Amino acid sequence: MPGIDECLLEAMALPGARGASLVDWTSGLALGTAGDSPVGDHETTAAETAELARSAAEFDSFTAGDSVTAGGERPGPPVEDLIVTTRAGYHVLRFVETSFDSSVFLHLWLDRDSGNLALARIRLRDLAERLVLG
Amino acid sequence: MSRTAVSPMLVRLAAEKATGALLRDHGTLYLVDGRVVHAESPAAPGVDVLLTTGGRLPREGWDEAVDRAGAHRAVGRFLVDSGRLHGGELEICHLGAVFDAAFFALSPTSGPTRFRYGVGHWFGTVRPVSAEAVERETVRRRELLDAVWPYASVDTAPVVPRPPSPGQTVGARQRSLLAAADGERTPAELARLLGRPAFHTLLDVRRLAAAGLVETPLDPVPAPPPPAPLSALPVEDPDIALLRRLRDALEAL
Repeated sequence: MPGIDECLLEAMALPGARGASLVDWTSGLALGTAGDSPVGDHETTAAETAELARSAAEFDSFTAGDSVTAGGERPGPPVEDLIVTTRAGYHVLRFVETSFDSSVFLHLWLDRDSGNLALARIRLRDLAERLVLG
Repeated sequence: MSRTAVSPMLVRLAAEKATGALLRDHGTLYLVDGRVVHAESPAAPGVDVLLTTGGRLPREGWDEAVDRAGAHRAVGRFLVDSGRLHGGELEICHLGAVFDAAFFALSPTSGPTRFRYGVGHWFGTVRPVSAEAVERETVRRRELLDAVWPYASVDTAPVVPRPPSPGQTVGARQRSLLAAADGERTPAELARLLGRPAFHTLLDVRRLAAAGLVETPLDPVPAPPPPAPLSALPVEDPDIALLRRLRDALEAL
């Protein structure tokens, strides 16, 4: 998988996918987008989801004692994903681990009826890895 | 978007699908067919710093890529084709660096703006971004900084940590930023040292300043006030004390 667009296209191929983006959670910048945004503007959604991701990545309750694993200390937050369930949909935010300093995550917005949350989580984990590991 | 353009010249160049380099006081934007393909600023760490500081790429690996592919303006492509980087990594890193440098390059300036038609950058094209998106993001970033903590003085001053209040905590990224702040390094120097985009560092410094964990220097050092004629009167002058007592007594009537 060569890059961001291919990664987002694959995410959009999941059942019930309505929108996908790759977002930087420090700045709130959308590095790439596909499909729709719940508010009709991907940049607004990126800024909002970035705030949520930043909280999860930085609050001690989610990270304390978790950054050192059996494999030694790794860069990036130990949080793997976030799921927000609404009446009409699911939002899955999957952190992307890079071996240079970055703060990005994949955001997938799914229709609640046609989406498959369990499948989406597994596929997003896989996509997040392949995006940076090839 | 009816907001005033950050750079009217950039808007015009995008409209005419120009190719070349837009030179401004604080950096340079490179355009191909009116789209932004690269940006550089002395204020922002380049892709090389971002990739080598964290150890993702050895410095020799970078230098070799520049030697081999710089003349063909295809260093980015070469890094991927030679197996040094994966496509997604390059895009993430390069896009981050472009928006970062563009933020500084497009900062308000009274200096001249020039455009050199046909000039390209040796890094080559990775993922072109519309000039409009770059302008919009630059404006959003300015507003974001001021929404967090409206004191631009922290952007350029040495970062001086302050002790946290009891129970106050910070996230891992801000913790490592504070650990590197020795009271002399500026946000730009810290960004380079940590291999992070400069805007991200500014934003974290403003967040830390808002939380009281970094000193906020007084905005521009106030000019010494002109000697006022009244200052000749010492406050402890007994006559003034007498007048005050008299006034107080009159007011009490």
